[in-house]
Amino acid sequence: MQFSNFQEFIEMGGYAFNVWSVYGMFLIFLTINLYGPLRKNRQIIRDLKRRYALNAQVPPMSAGAGSQPSPGSETTEEERT
Amino acid sequence: MDWTWFHKWGSPKWFYELSGKWLPWLVGAMVTCLLIGVTWSLLFVPQDYQQGLTNRIFYVHVPVASISLAFFPLMAMAGTIFLVWRMKLADVVVKVAAPLGAWFTALALASGSIWGVDTWGTWWVWDGRLTSLLLQFFLLLGVVSLRTALEDSEGAARACALLSIVGCINVVVIKYSVDWWNTLHQPSTNFTLATDQANGPEIWVPLIFMIVAVYLFFAISLILSTRNEILQREKRAQWVMDLVAKS
Amino acid sequence: MSAARSTLAGAVVATLRRDLLIAYKRKNDLFNPFMFFVLVATLFPIGISPEPEALGEISAGVLWISALLASLLAMDNLFRADFEDGSLELLMLSPHPLYFLVLAKNIAHWLVSGLPIVLVSPLIAYMLNFPEGAYSTLVLTLLLGTPVLSLLGSIGVALTVGLGSRGLILAVITLPMSVPVLIAGTLTVSQTLEGASLSGYLAIMGAMLVAALTLAPLASAAALRISVN
Repeated sequence: MQFSNFQEFIEMGGYAFNVWSVYGMFLIFLTINLYGPLRKNRQIIRDLKRRYALNAQVPPMSAGAGSQPSPGSETTEEERT
Repeated sequence: MDWTWFHKWGSPKWFYELSGKWLPWLVGAMVTCLLIGVTWSLLFVPQDYQQGLTNRIFYVHVPVASISLAFFPLMAMAGTIFLVWRMKLADVVVKVAAPLGAWFTALALASGSIWGVDTWGTWWVWDGRLTSLLLQFFLLLGVVSLRTALEDSEGAARACALLSIVGCINVVVIKYSVDWWNTLHQPSTNFTLATDQANGPEIWVPLIFMIVAVYLFFAISLILSTRNEILQREKRAQWVMDLVAKS
Repeated sequence: MSAARSTLAGAVVATLRRDLLIAYKRKNDLFNPFMFFVLVATLFPIGISPEPEALGEISAGVLWISALLASLLAMDNLFRADFEDGSLELLMLSPHPLYFLVLAKNIAHWLVSGLPIVLVSPLIAYMLNFPEGAYSTLVLTLLLGTPVLSLLGSIGVALTVGLGSRGLILAVITLPMSVPVLIAGTLTVSQTLEGASLSGYLAIMGAMLVAALTLAPLASAAALRISVN
């Protein structure tokens, strides 16, 4: 242990700003890059659910024929199973 | 030689399922390494006799900077695989690696310059390492903006794969030329990787924990983004429909 | 064998001639990059300082950066007109390797946009109080360096040729790639002024040119195949 009390730990031998800003940025960076994709994943699943529900309402004839009502359907990948 | 693994790797569904199984383990390992690494580096690492306690910055900067150098080779490899074998998954990697690489490079730059405040007395110095990282950052942003500009997904995928390969070669050339430029302009920067003195295990063991943690984080983040991209691209596939229905 | 070679050479020469002729007919293409170079170089004394001392110090960098920006600006002409009128597609349909045709277009483009800049550079250098004794080095480095800039730029142009607004993205892609050339060019000049032997630096620039000549058209050709469908 390099520090005898909590105060010293916070002060970091006079480099409090440098050390804590780097660790803070690191933390923010980790959070953004983990939480971001996770939240996006939930959002995608929610969107897809809505889209599938919509497609289910449309008669099956036109369901696959290019009637995508919601935005974000510009990617036209071939279907693969 | 059995080549089925190669086709499997090309299958987004297979990747999605396998990565789903791996993720909890990866996250667990990362959190463990991160907790050990951060606690150890902040609390127990002895101070450097020249830099004092700023050597703590080193435990964030070094892992992040070392990974940010791996992005262009990674993207170039994935790009080559995509261009040669048309493996869809490789394009997904090229696509999600570019912004993630920009994040890593930005953090490496910021932590490097904060570390340098004490050593150099200013926030920014045109040091060889920082300069080539900055240029790499710009190149990564170039790949990201090319992807955004070319909306057509197939064309954009191939163009970005090609640009990644060109960029990878270029990053190497930039690295050497910037080092050359730097040695001629600034004969000595006493900015060494702090491991020169007193590199006993109490210095490098926590570093290894941090490096492992950051590498795992890189893998996890890449996998998470790849999974999202797969879901969006395969939204008409039956397995995605089943998956969404189950959740 | 000889017949096949002569047709390839014929195609290259024809492409070269055609591009030069078009440039000659459209005098703007000939004049604009050159004018841009002179204008940018003129802005520096106004923006920084008209002091001869200060100008002499930065003149090599100013000339190189102006040349870099001028070549970037000129890059847009390389494939765009041909893309818009469809002749680029015809070029790609030709039986000859696209590599050589792209190389020919690059050479023509450099002759039109790069060479005038190289030729006018001593005059601008004089106006910027460029240190005596390095004029020949400056011209030599520009002569070796500007083709590399065009070759690198052609990759970016080929990737973005189908885009509506490509000016900024072209700069974002191309400028970082041009940094090694800028470093080599300015270092060669500054080291010559300090009395170093020129040959090693010129060898590096020559190596860059050879590498760019062999690799860049390959990448540009591949990029064109991607962009033009």
